[in-house]
Amino acid sequence: MNNLTKNIIRFIVFAVLQTLIFNQLEIGYGFHLMIHPLFIMLLPFEMGVISLMGLAFLMGIIIDIFSNTYGLHASSLVMMAYFRPLVFKFYGPREGYDPLKEPSVFDMGNRWFTYVFGILLLIHHLWYFLVEIFQFNQFFFILQKTIFSAVPSFLICLLLQSFLIKKSKTK
Amino acid sequence: MRNLIAFLRRFQIFLVFASLQIISLVIYVQFLSFPRSQYLTTASNVTAKVLTWENDVTKHFDLSKNNYALQRENIRLRERLPEFMYTLSAGKVKVEDTIFKQQYTYIPGMVINSSVTRRNNYFTLNIGSKQGVKPNMGVFSDKGVVGIVHNTSEHYCVVKSVLTKDINVDVIIEPIHLAGILKWDGHDPRRGSIDGISNDLRIKKWSRVITRGGSGIFPKGIPVGKVERIESIEGEPLWNVVVRYSEDYRTLQRVYVVKNVMIEEQQALEGQIPPDEEEDVLR
Repeated sequence: MNNLTKNIIRFIVFAVLQTLIFNQLEIGYGFHLMIHPLFIMLLPFEMGVISLMGLAFLMGIIIDIFSNTYGLHASSLVMMAYFRPLVFKFYGPREGYDPLKEPSVFDMGNRWFTYVFGILLLIHHLWYFLVEIFQFNQFFFILQKTIFSAVPSFLICLLLQSFLIKKSKTK
Repeated sequence: MRNLIAFLRRFQIFLVFASLQIISLVIYVQFLSFPRSQYLTTASNVTAKVLTWENDVTKHFDLSKNNYALQRENIRLRERLPEFMYTLSAGKVKVEDTIFKQQYTYIPGMVINSSVTRRNNYFTLNIGSKQGVKPNMGVFSDKGVVGIVHNTSEHYCVVKSVLTKDINVDVIIEPIHLAGILKWDGHDPRRGSIDGISNDLRIKKWSRVITRGGSGIFPKGIPVGKVERIESIEGEPLWNVVVRYSEDYRTLQRVYVVKNVMIEEQQALEGQIPPDEEEDVLR
């Protein structure tokens, strides 16, 4: 299966999972499971920022349509896609990334994935709740929501990778 | 010109980023207050169809609870039927009534998609303009007020629920008819608060809160909840009244949309009043 079909299938799978399953889980207590950032994370290393942001916008708008948030998810996903290359560069190996690998927990190791995806997820969630609540006197509430949603989302994303992603053969 | 192209090239990434952010935030702000089209909401046909399939599976999860609630409502309504009452004075003649005229009719519907944990929560119903639903109609369930219709398509509609930022339903606290405005602070889907009640008034705990019915969106007397806590706001002569909603919006399924037959008459009359800039927040 080549890269393009793989990513198209992933796009559909992540959109369906997020809109029809994770959006419907109302856990309460400010928990908000968002797994669609994982799709942006798993796109290939060599992909340009502009196409990343384009895909992020498309994904976000689709999720927005299904959850009546009108551009909120799109905005925060684009934010995350914009920061992805910067964070990747910061944590990257000196000789650059191996283009045959993909940025999953299996190929890059636990430590790398925790740092990079953790930071990106925090950026995504922080922006999302900042725009959604948009009251700066409630900053503590925004932070609380960000942490409460980012930690379970991170764990679910770790779990999901073992269902959806195979280890790259070349290692 | 060459400089401009060079500039655009150099800041290409940031410009694309900024424009995408602006597009999405503009859509967000616009749709929050006034949706121009149905296509970016769950009222659009494709989205609503998909959500209906999804709901066909999940609607059975709360079936027994909802059946019980409907049964209880049936009992409550049956108790009002004249056949079920003991007649005290025999031989009364029933007259065709000309004093009362029906003002509100109700359209039954079902929630096919909902959320309660966001800052602004919307419910999608499986009824639309074909059934006569229009924006700004009230929506309630057998237990309490639900929200106001935000946007409709042919077969579906999106309801702005009481769990949104600017819902502003006018309510009264029952025994003394204190009028206030219902708000939601975004923290807890089981509790809302009432604004604008002066703190020299005494409010009993657990007194009932019902809709006021002044604006013609809701009939008077639809339950909202009960007063749970009364807190003083620092620096203002007002109470912050915390209301516990009587409806559990997390498991809401069957709702009714209110259609006020005389709303146009009322609005035409009220439209003659010159607008007051300070009061346009009140709905």
